Amino acid sequence: MSAPVSTRPGRAGRLAAVLPHVVIGAILLIEFFPLYMMLQVAFKDNAAFIDNPWLPAPLADWRWENWWFALNLIGPYVANTVFVAVTGTVCSVALAVLGAYFFARYRLPGSGVLWSLFMVLMLLPGIANLVPLFTLLKELSLLNTLWALIAVGVAGGQVFNLFVLRNFIEDLPKDLFEAAEMDGAGHLQQIRHIVVPMSRSILGTLAIMAFLGKWNEFLLPLVILRDRELFTLGVGLIYLDGEYVKQWGQIMAAYCFAALPLIILFLFTMRLFVKGLSQGAIKG
Amino acid sequence: MARVVLENLVKTFPAAGNSAAFTAVKGINLTVEEGEFMVLVGPSGCGKSTTLRMIAGLEEVSSGSIRIGDQVVNGVLPKDRDIAMVFQNYALYPHMSVYENLAFGLKLRRLPKSEIAARVQAAADLLGLADLLERKPKALSGGQRQRVAVGRAIVRRPKVFLFDEPLSNLDAKMRVQMRTEIARLHARLGATMIYVTHDQVEAMTMGDRICVMKEGQILQVAEPLELYQRPANLFVAGFIGSPPMNFLRGAVVRSDNRRDFVADGGVGALRLALPARLAEPARALEGRAAVLGVRPEQVQLVAEGAPGGHPCTVELAEPMGAETFLHLRSAAGVFIARVEAGVTHRQGSRVCAAFELERAHLFDAASEIRLT
Repeated sequence: MSAPVSTRPGRAGRLAAVLPHVVIGAILLIEFFPLYMMLQVAFKDNAAFIDNPWLPAPLADWRWENWWFALNLIGPYVANTVFVAVTGTVCSVALAVLGAYFFARYRLPGSGVLWSLFMVLMLLPGIANLVPLFTLLKELSLLNTLWALIAVGVAGGQVFNLFVLRNFIEDLPKDLFEAAEMDGAGHLQQIRHIVVPMSRSILGTLAIMAFLGKWNEFLLPLVILRDRELFTLGVGLIYLDGEYVKQWGQIMAAYCFAALPLIILFLFTMRLFVKGLSQGAIKG
Repeated sequence: MARVVLENLVKTFPAAGNSAAFTAVKGINLTVEEGEFMVLVGPSGCGKSTTLRMIAGLEEVSSGSIRIGDQVVNGVLPKDRDIAMVFQNYALYPHMSVYENLAFGLKLRRLPKSEIAARVQAAADLLGLADLLERKPKALSGGQRQRVAVGRAIVRRPKVFLFDEPLSNLDAKMRVQMRTEIARLHARLGATMIYVTHDQVEAMTMGDRICVMKEGQILQVAEPLELYQRPANLFVAGFIGSPPMNFLRGAVVRSDNRRDFVADGGVGALRLALPARLAEPARALEGRAAVLGVRPEQVQLVAEGAPGGHPCTVELAEPMGAETFLHLRSAAGVFIARVEAGVTHRQGSRVCAAFELERAHLFDAASEIRLT
């Protein structure tokens, strides 16, 4: 009779199973620590913060007025940022779809060169454009306007969007476009009825990425915005830091308000975001 | 319903990258009559799909003209040609329901909603799709998807229907079923249909006429039976018919008052006395290489020693149920005989085969053209 074979993993096996969890746990701890600090400090006044910086204050001592103060303070910045981010994202994705459709479906003389030029743009560091961009915006009388942020954001993000979308559209079955053509669809109708519905997840991903980029934009608004009432969140928060440097609770509450829309957006669109990323990765 | 006329139609794909310019269609002329079911058939790369796509407007014409009805449509957009096309891969819109797929073309043409609903319902009833209208294409079988693709063409009520190998993705049983359904549909609608396939059985069973293409050229346009019984050349003779026609290569020689066909194979090779029907035209081939074409059903098994019988060895027997195909080897090479089922022929067994030469064909080996 053969001896019973143990199915329990050995010590090395158990370690191998536990180790990834430990590593992931450590990464999550590091990632969440700033969020934790931001949140718990937002409920303290400066005295409580200096007295006990690491642990949350007792519930009875929570300073809710920090949040009210922060909301009043950054409300206009949030409004400006929402305007810039939403308008910029919609324009950016819409133009990317049009451009990607052209590059994916048509091979015209010179389109290869045009595509290569687009790709070269992706290699240029954004900071290198800052001075010429400033001059250009000045010439166009767009300095100190939100439209400048929108226009630059839309133009600047296009290369990546085109790169991703072109490959995706090229992988859509050619027969579908031809069938739509036979059914009487023009180019815009093919985009509306074929490309957009079939690229929904990748478009959603690009939109989220564009929105994140525009929401967190800092350098450009810092350079081109002068009037306080036009400030977006990135710049507004920096000035907040300078003027209210001693009021840590209010600053952290303002940071929380600034981060909140992104967290809500990501929670609601996480599935779409991940699906879009994986589609872009494996399609074709 | 409209007549389609192709005149000197040429399609050249320009050189791109490492590939040289390529002429896929080389100046073809073809007339498809009103209400006719024309099948374009040929091997892969013969230009049949390119021709269809030019008629559809999906490929630009390099030279020549396409007329649909009275209008030359070379520069007309596909949507304005009043034609509908069924694609090999169905090309159903995956994000739309069956109803939306059927209604899409009509919506784009801004037909009233009631009209759209009526047309979709009529097509669905005709094709047995009435219970599937709410489903998405991914929830349909291959046959059902193909029906939706056909339905999408029907609702448009176009002048001309184009089919680009629509059955090639279906299994054998479904293919036979859909073949019948499309043929029935043609009889019912009476529309002009142009159908591309590489399957000669589909071509023979469905077409009013068949256009056989090879290397961008039309080799023969004829009704199915004429094509089978009177192929214009070796290619058509070999392409149409399953199993294909047997070809015996050899030469025509004069012998006393008659002419014989002597198959290649040296001493002891097959020698067949040509009947009067073949002997006269064979005069032109005297002393030259020729090919004798004999259909499998024109090869008979006869008793040993019977006049005209040639000894052969059974290389392979393929029982098809109603009949059996015997692959026979003789001094003249390998040929196929279509014999009655029920008689068992084992591999390697010896039989005697005779050729029914009254219905055989003689081809010039150089030009490959049929003489008789």
